[in-house]
Amino acid sequence: MKISRNWLQDYVDLTGLTDEQISEAITFLGFEVEGIESTGAPQLENVVVGEILTRDQHPNADRLSICSVGVGEANGDTKRIVCGAQNYKVGDRVPVALIGAVLPGDFKIKPSKIRGEASEGMMCSGKELQIGEDHSGLMLLADRPEVGTPINAALPAGDIVFDIEITPNRPDCQSHLGVARELAAWFRRELRYPSTAPAAAAAARPDLFKDLRVDHDEDCPLYTASVISGVKVGPSPDWMQQRLSAVGVRPINNLVDIGNYVMLEYGQPMHAFDANKLGGSSIIVRRATEGETLVTLDEKERKLTTDMLVIADAEKPVVVAGIMGGENSGVDASTTDLVLEVAVFRRFSIRATSRALGLSSDSSYRFERGIDAHAVPEATSRAIALILETAGGTLCGSTQRIGSDVSWEREVAVIPAWVRSRLGFEIVDADQRSALEALDLLIVREEEGDAGVEWTVRIPSWRSDLDRPIDLVEEILRVHGTAKIPATTVTGPGLLAKDDPIAEFNRRVGAYLIGQNFNECVTYSLRSSAEISTWSGNAAVQPLALDNPFVEDQSHLRSSMVSGLLDTLKLNQSRGNAVSRLFETGRVFIPQKDGVVECAAVGFVIATDGAPAWKERESSDFYTTKRLVETLADNAGVDLARQPHLADDSPASSGWQDAQHTLQGDMRYGWTARFGMLDLAGLKSRGIEGKVLAGIFAILPERLKGGGKRKRFQPFSLQPAALRDVALIVPQSATAGEVLKDLSKFARDVTPKSFALEDVNLFDVYEGKGLPEGAKSLAFSLRFRAADRTLKDAEVNQTFNALLEKISAKEGYEIRQ
Amino acid sequence: MQDSLSALVERAKSELPNITSRPDFESLKATLVGPKGELTGLMKQMGTVSKEERPAMGKLINETKNALQGLLDATLSGFEAAELAAQLGPAIDPTLPSPDSIAGTRHPLTLVREELNAILKKVGFTVVEGPEVETEYYCFDALNTPATHPARDPQDTFYFPTDAKFSNIDKKVENEKYLLRTHTSSVQIRTMLKGEPPIRIVSPGRVYRRDTVDATHSANFHQMEGLYVDKNVTVKDLKALLDYILKSLLGSDTKVRFRPHYFGYTEPSFEVDLSAKHLSKVNKEWVEIMGCGMVDPAVFDDIGYDSSVWSGYAFGMGIERIAMMMYGIDDIRYFYQNDLRFLRQFG
Repeated sequence: MKISRNWLQDYVDLTGLTDEQISEAITFLGFEVEGIESTGAPQLENVVVGEILTRDQHPNADRLSICSVGVGEANGDTKRIVCGAQNYKVGDRVPVALIGAVLPGDFKIKPSKIRGEASEGMMCSGKELQIGEDHSGLMLLADRPEVGTPINAALPAGDIVFDIEITPNRPDCQSHLGVARELAAWFRRELRYPSTAPAAAAAARPDLFKDLRVDHDEDCPLYTASVISGVKVGPSPDWMQQRLSAVGVRPINNLVDIGNYVMLEYGQPMHAFDANKLGGSSIIVRRATEGETLVTLDEKERKLTTDMLVIADAEKPVVVAGIMGGENSGVDASTTDLVLEVAVFRRFSIRATSRALGLSSDSSYRFERGIDAHAVPEATSRAIALILETAGGTLCGSTQRIGSDVSWEREVAVIPAWVRSRLGFEIVDADQRSALEALDLLIVREEEGDAGVEWTVRIPSWRSDLDRPIDLVEEILRVHGTAKIPATTVTGPGLLAKDDPIAEFNRRVGAYLIGQNFNECVTYSLRSSAEISTWSGNAAVQPLALDNPFVEDQSHLRSSMVSGLLDTLKLNQSRGNAVSRLFETGRVFIPQKDGVVECAAVGFVIATDGAPAWKERESSDFYTTKRLVETLADNAGVDLARQPHLADDSPASSGWQDAQHTLQGDMRYGWTARFGMLDLAGLKSRGIEGKVLAGIFAILPERLKGGGKRKRFQPFSLQPAALRDVALIVPQSATAGEVLKDLSKFARDVTPKSFALEDVNLFDVYEGKGLPEGAKSLAFSLRFRAADRTLKDAEVNQTFNALLEKISAKEGYEIRQ
Repeated sequence: MQDSLSALVERAKSELPNITSRPDFESLKATLVGPKGELTGLMKQMGTVSKEERPAMGKLINETKNALQGLLDATLSGFEAAELAAQLGPAIDPTLPSPDSIAGTRHPLTLVREELNAILKKVGFTVVEGPEVETEYYCFDALNTPATHPARDPQDTFYFPTDAKFSNIDKKVENEKYLLRTHTSSVQIRTMLKGEPPIRIVSPGRVYRRDTVDATHSANFHQMEGLYVDKNVTVKDLKALLDYILKSLLGSDTKVRFRPHYFGYTEPSFEVDLSAKHLSKVNKEWVEIMGCGMVDPAVFDDIGYDSSVWSGYAFGMGIERIAMMMYGIDDIRYFYQNDLRFLRQFG
């Protein structure tokens, strides 16, 4: 809200305070000052009041004149000035910029020749001096200040306007009086209210206005209507226009301006009707009926619905209640009699209608935040007094009112010692009392209790935000000054708590992947439905949809991070950055039968076509992603290799390349992983160059365990190992995993208790020459070791031979010689 | 015999330098000193030598044997040196760039988050996490934000359809709607409901607002909120903590001030400004950095803590905003574009 310093001065004497001091006070009272503007003329040197003594036609230009201008003895008496304006006559007084003046915009005035004629200065328009927008001609100084006077002394002093953010808990400060009240408290100066003695009323005029009816007092607890006849519509007085303009309200005419003025003064919106436009001379506060419309003052036709409150005459709606008037009933230049509405509307009703119509105004803004119903009589008297003073007319009868005075009585008990205990520092009783009283929070009773003196504080009607002792702590601290909170050191308990397992997991996998040369990314987690469909299938689209997306391509929760990482990949490729390895940690959302689950996840991509290097390095492949995902899973306490193989009833994902990726785990077991190569066609259509590998591991947060058990030392043998290699010829369709499982089982079965099979390691895979059609060879190295002695060849050979026999006995397996 | 011995040494001297391979070396060595070699043959002739000559001859044979061994060893070590030399590649050019990948990087938002976590851990705060999909209760109701509050409006908050189901996110109130959390304060509510005071936690995480994306706004961004609940927690304690956090993060010459403000879930509430003229992008005297306040007794009452016993403070800040200030970044979108030239500047 814009607050004028000149205006504030009416209610609180700010003499002797700089603008900065006032701004700081407002800031520390709890209202952010978003800007300070000064209106009026900037400080101008060498610009003085001049009088046009003669005006002659320029010999070489039809539209130019040559004037002699009196500028005062001290400034060299008369100047010869060439001028292009047309709006002046000899004898007018105008601002004159003398040689050496610098006008706004760094415009230096120098001696010049204009179309061959010398000119010693410039006569100025308002705009050239930055005193307004008028550029149509010279600024004529109507009140004829003395010739030679510096222009700043001749013009009315400017104003300072503070642009203040009023927090939603303080609707009382949506007004100059409200802000003045706060400043009066801060500077401990007196608050002066405008005089609001009710005007004397003549006889009522039922011919102008006779009926007032409120159908819905739950939405309109108080409605008042005052009738004034015989007004003369015209411009409002200069002082009012200047104040309104200063705070950004365009002056229109005296009646409209007064409504705005009193609203900005008291925070109470009001509305003036032309009495002669009110059908049936009535006002009815009712809900709109089906199909009713109203053309509001902004010239738009509004379709009203039956839950909207309107002000209507006997025939039609004339105002969207509390929000905006209609074109059909407002005052205009021909208005002579008016009905002034000052009312209270319920916040939520106004808000709902304002939202539904997409229409808001200074009035609706204030009603939505809540106004002080008890200010209605004062604001009414103030407005009537201003109307009678500036537009003439007669108040006809007393103000009609429907709804009663909302009774207001509120007291809050507070113990000063308790206030100190909340603050943690000393504000003595006297200072607390002084702070409260400065805000008109009067202590009406004092009682001694166990905890010290207890005060009962009376809360004024405009401070409905104050309801509890803690609210008064804030008031005391505010006025005392938050700058006075003393500095100290931090204290706090040492609690037996650990960081959340998700935070720990993210740290661990982040450290691991960065060690693998990945760059960590953060991507948007709202994605398009097409992307969800690509990565998780069509069935996932609907469960992940937002109800009210803001933009179409960010309408769904992500089910995978791969999509965002591909955006990053593409952006870097298109910007010519050699990009290869990217990862992200965060949440993904995976639809399941009984609802979506939110999971902790880590995802990565690897672009295999990196920048060309002078020396080739081995490139990543599927097995790179496997090791990465295994390690990620391991960091979550999941052993990827040991999980039972689950039937893959997960939806197919067209984002991944068929037969070049794998899906492991299952959300039913609390985690899932997918890794391998991404679909080449999909990448191409996305505009990504080259092959891309990717992986994602997602786990239910509740399955991640924090910290883990403390590790226990496992003794290991210091004896030498015995190694034996064996190659198996198996059908091509057999997976390495199955063969390894079989072989390990056979080997364990034949190894005696006196020593152990320590490891089985697959070290070669071969297909082709020397092998039967449809077969492949897998070679394994077995490591045996005893805990207590060096193994003898003979015992190892015996075991190994037994193993070979077992293998040969298995159908489809053959030892490769 | 003496001549034969010296001829043998001479032969070794002349032939060994021509040997280039280990097999050739071994066969020559065999003819010289092997069991069937010449030296052995000559030694066998010792029997024919007279008793008087025997000691001198024996000595001569020993000398010859040593000389031959010396020559053989020299040749062998030459081989070994050559073999090691052959293992080396071409000479290096230390100015050639390594073809290996450049080290990975942490995202600046992670760096700032973890730095804040570490600063807070020093004074006893631990990290808690909570879901990004929340319900109206945890995000608003429990935080004293009434149903009519503008922050809850669908214009500002993302909601899910009424029939949306999230099986691992519990609802507190039947029929309440799921939404995307607008702040991580919801995590504080979940923590308070699960545990008992004293509580000293920080909850970093992703939050969502229905905002037009521009240089300072993003549809999702990250927050860090802290909560301390205990007996006799005061405004002075809160100021001390925020002084500590901001000075730890931005330097001990950072100044911090509290301005009274309004938040629904704290009373009194403050906005926190800092003055840190050493930061490049901070050219205003005071810059707003975060919000905080004393937990409103209504919040405690609502979750079942006795507000006459427990008091506490809460604070919250945008991680992007802090990062932008710390690093002098002028556009929030850089965090989400992940241009490598950006990422590599920090991580």
